[in-house]
Amino acid sequence: MTDQLTYPDVVALAVPFFIAAILIELTWILIKRRGGRYETLDAVTSLIMGAGNVASGIILGFITFGFLMVLWELTPLDLGTSIWVIALCFVLDDLRYYWVHRFGHRIRWVWASHVNHHSSQHYNLTTALRQTWTGTFTFMMVVRAPLILLGFHPAMVLFCGGLNLIYQFWIHTEAIGRMPRWFEAVMNTPSHHRVHHGRNPRYLDANYAGVFIIWDKLFGTFVPELDEEKPDYGLVQNLGTFNPIRVAFHEWVGIFKDVVQPGITWRDRLNYCIQPPGWSHDGSRDTSEAIKAKHLERNPEDRGTAGFEGG
Amino acid sequence: MPLEILGPMVVLGIAGIALLLHLTGQTAPMRFETEDDARRAWLREHGEDAPGTVLVAANGRAALLRLGSGALGLVTIMGADPAARYLTGASWETTTKGLRIRPPDFAAPRFDIALSEEDRAAWLALKDQTT
Repeated sequence: MTDQLTYPDVVALAVPFFIAAILIELTWILIKRRGGRYETLDAVTSLIMGAGNVASGIILGFITFGFLMVLWELTPLDLGTSIWVIALCFVLDDLRYYWVHRFGHRIRWVWASHVNHHSSQHYNLTTALRQTWTGTFTFMMVVRAPLILLGFHPAMVLFCGGLNLIYQFWIHTEAIGRMPRWFEAVMNTPSHHRVHHGRNPRYLDANYAGVFIIWDKLFGTFVPELDEEKPDYGLVQNLGTFNPIRVAFHEWVGIFKDVVQPGITWRDRLNYCIQPPGWSHDGSRDTSEAIKAKHLERNPEDRGTAGFEGG
Repeated sequence: MPLEILGPMVVLGIAGIALLLHLTGQTAPMRFETEDDARRAWLREHGEDAPGTVLVAANGRAALLRLGSGALGLVTIMGADPAARYLTGASWETTTKGLRIRPPDFAAPRFDIALSEEDRAAWLALKDQTT
């Protein structure tokens, strides 16, 4: 077994590239007066969230790595470290990302961690860096378990996860319209990911892909960006603060308040953790399905169109 | 990358980008110029509860709304964008500059709203009529 395998910390190495790309995008927007928008407090909040994500990885990363190394000790399989194994690991890890991301939007416990990435009402390269501080507490590292048990080394799996994150950086922009058709068909692109960040009823719970958009097409969650409906970025209920602590923890606090409220059953308390965001024991809030259904009541002509096929 | 390099790079990067954004005029909070601006901001988040009475603060940074449901709502400025909140259960406090409203919401804990004495009286009157 190749226990002592190391790969570069690609996310940390990419920090200078992130800063340079943000400066280039901002310059482009200022010169061309199109292709997106920036706001100081919003951008600074996103950047602080990004720095906090790196810090939380340094502080808590041992938990995930330790868990994966335990699995590595258990598995009899070792696929080695050839370039083809790394390539296969990258593709399978992207499938892993798709499902973790989908869980992140459909299970409130996981959403509590992911929500801050969607909390900006802007969509620019700083938004890409608005990352979670609490990912470890979602326990979504278990979704990586099959990869380790199949014989991919934990260091390789985490390396591929880092590459995946770096790929997703450049798609957080309005400065790029659409890529060539073949690229849009296979890869996640700015256009596809703008849809994912849209709070429009049409665009809710769509395009979970990391690198390859084919997963959304395969699993029925793909919605194309429509020229006639520009994404409205942010949350269904936008935040009323730029405080990074509140951005990072607000949904966890919301879960806590819901779970400890008096007069509900233990099943209700559990459901406040595991049901989709917007679920409530008395039906007083709206899930994305309810939001879509209400939209169709007001706009029946949208029924059957992209994002409303199931309505 | 060693922390001794990564740390300063991140700090200087954030500070530099913040300075650049500010100097290029990107710190430009939006304003509610009209009651309709405030109505649109509310309906963007709560499309089923149309506002009736709307009181826009003179500086255009907040507006108080009496809603069709009978509740009170507040729209405020978050940088270049609006945010909307129901004020059910909120605490109200008079300040030297206007009003401090604290909704029971960790994600929107406090709004300091600058109001003239006349406007503050109107806001408090609308609150009293509604609750």
